[in-house]
Amino acid sequence: MNPKTYHHISSNPSSVKSRFTRGFLRAFKKIKRQQRLLPTSSSSSSSNPSPRPYLYGRVKIAADKSLALAVGSRRAWSRALLWKIHYKAWRQRSRFNNKKKLLKENKKNKKNKKKKNDDEEVGFRHAKELRKLVPGGEAMDLCSLLDETAHYIKCLITQVQVMKSVDQIYSF
Amino acid sequence: MNCPSSGMNTNPLPQKVSGMSMNSMSTYKSSSGADHFFGSGWDPIVSLSQGENFGVSSMVSHCEFATSPYPVVMENQVISSTANLAQYPSDPSFVELVPKIPVFGSGNFSEMVSSFGLPETARIANSGCPPNYTPNKDSGNERTSTNVAQCFEDRQISEEAAIGASTNGKTRKRAPESSSPSNPDKNANEERQKDPSGESSGTVKEQDEKKPKIEQNTGANSRGKQAAKQAKDSSNSVEAPKEYIHVRAKRGQATNSHSLAERVRREKISERMRLLQELVPGCNKITGKAVMLDEIINYVQSLQQQVEFLSMKLATVNPELNIDIERILSKDILHSRSGGAAILGFSSGMNSSQPYSHGIFQGTMPSIPTANPQFPPLHQTILDPELQSLFQMGFDSGSAVDSARLKSEL
Repeated sequence: MNPKTYHHISSNPSSVKSRFTRGFLRAFKKIKRQQRLLPTSSSSSSSNPSPRPYLYGRVKIAADKSLALAVGSRRAWSRALLWKIHYKAWRQRSRFNNKKKLLKENKKNKKNKKKKNDDEEVGFRHAKELRKLVPGGEAMDLCSLLDETAHYIKCLITQVQVMKSVDQIYSF
Repeated sequence: MNCPSSGMNTNPLPQKVSGMSMNSMSTYKSSSGADHFFGSGWDPIVSLSQGENFGVSSMVSHCEFATSPYPVVMENQVISSTANLAQYPSDPSFVELVPKIPVFGSGNFSEMVSSFGLPETARIANSGCPPNYTPNKDSGNERTSTNVAQCFEDRQISEEAAIGASTNGKTRKRAPESSSPSNPDKNANEERQKDPSGESSGTVKEQDEKKPKIEQNTGANSRGKQAAKQAKDSSNSVEAPKEYIHVRAKRGQATNSHSLAERVRREKISERMRLLQELVPGCNKITGKAVMLDEIINYVQSLQQQVEFLSMKLATVNPELNIDIERILSKDILHSRSGGAAILGFSSGMNSSQPYSHGIFQGTMPSIPTANPQFPPLHQTILDPELQSLFQMGFDSGSAVDSARLKSEL
C-alpha cells in the first residue's frame, strides 16, 4: 500500500467515511430492493424520466440517516439530525396523534441568553441562517454553533464524496 | 551607593534597552507568566492572559520593561539594601521611586519573580527587601503606587511600573473599591492605596509573611485600576502618569469582568472562524466575519444541495449490479476518497464562478430527466481522467483491479 494514496483516508478503519459508506450502501440497496419489488416500478424503468419523488426523498433520508449514525451521538448536529428523522417518521406514521403537543415540545429549545449577544458579533442575519442550515443549530450558542458547523461541513463533504462514487459506479 | 543606584535609575532607558534586549528571550517566556500574573489584576491584562494571541507583542514589550528592571531592582536592593531611603533623597525623581523600589521589590518583586519563575531573583529580593520594607511601609506604599504609574510612564523607572503592574495585577479586583480618577496626585494615590491595602489584603494570594507586599499589592491594585480607567483617556501618553504598564490589547477596552469574559468569547469565536476558513475552499483571502459567514452559509447550502441532487440521481439509478459488488464498492469508495476530492476540485475548477461544483449540478440537472445513457458520458468526461490519474498515482493494486473489474462488469 502506498502511504501517499492513503493520506486522505483516515487511519481509523472505522472512520466516519467507512461507516457511512457501509451504512449508506446497505440502506440504498434496501431501497432499491423495495423499489424493485413494488409493482408500479419496473426494473427496466431506470430511465424513467419521472422517478418517484418520494423515492428520492427516501434516498436522501437514508443518506442523512446513515451519515448521522456514522457520526454517532458525539456531535450535537448528528443527534439533532437523527432526532429530526425519527420525529418526521414518527409524525408520518401517527398523524392522528397530538402533533401540536410535539411541536410545542420541539419548540421548547432552550434559548440561551448568550445567543443574542453572540449573534451580534457576527450579524443576526448570518447567525440565523447558519442556525437553520445546521441541524440542531437553533439551540446552540455561537461558539458551539461554529464548532458544529465545521464538523458538519467535514461530514457533508464525506457524504458527497461517497454518494458521488456510488453514483459513479452505479451509472457506468 | 547613591551614585551607582541613582546612576542606574537615571539611565533607565539605556538600561532598559539593554535589559530588554538581554531579557527579550526570557521576558518573552515570562510574559506568558506575566500574563497570568498581570491578568489576575488588570482587566486588559486578564484578557490578555486568557486570549493569548492578543497583543502578545505589546505584552512582550511591556513585560520586557517589567522584567528588565528586575535585575536593576535587584542590584539596587543588593547594593543599597539597608538605607535606600537615605540614599535616594538626593535624586528628587527617585525619592518617590527609590523607596518604592525596595518596598515593591521586597514584596512585589518576590511575588513577581515567583510568578515569573525566577527563583534566584526572588531569593535576592526577599533577602534584600524585608529590611527595607518596614520603614517604607507607611510612606512607600502610598508613594510607590502613584510613582510607579508615573515613573513607568516616563520610562524612568520601569521597575516600579513592573512591580506596580504585578501588584496591580494581583489585587486588581480590590481597586475599584478605592479607585479614584486622579492619578497624578500622589496623595490621592496614597489615600487610595490605603483603602485598598486594607481591603485587598485578603485577596492577595501570597503568603502571610509578605504582608507588606499585600499592602503594596492592594495599593498597586488600586493604582492599576485607576490606570486602567485612565488608560481609556490616554493610552500611550508618556507624560500622563495615569498610564500603566499593563499591556492593553485594545484601546479603550472596558475592564470589568463582563468585558473580559466577552473578550475570551470573542477569541474563541474568531478561532473557530479561522478553522472554518480553512475548511471552506477559497476563503483564505476573506477577512471579516460577515463575509466569512456568508461564504460558510453558501458552502453548506451547496453541499446540502449536492446531497440532494446525488440522492435524486441515485434514485433513478438502475440497480442491476450484483450484491457482490457491494464489497468492492465500499472498498473502492474508500480508496477513491482522494479521487472524490479530485473530482470535487476538478468540477470546481471547471466552473470558476461556482466554486462549489455547481458545474456538476448544471451538468446533471439536464441529464436527470433524460435517459440514463447520458450519465456515463458525463461521468467519463469529468471523472475518468481523474480516476485514471489517481490509479496511476499508485493506488493499491487490488483497488485498481477491482475498479477495472467493475468497469468491465458494467
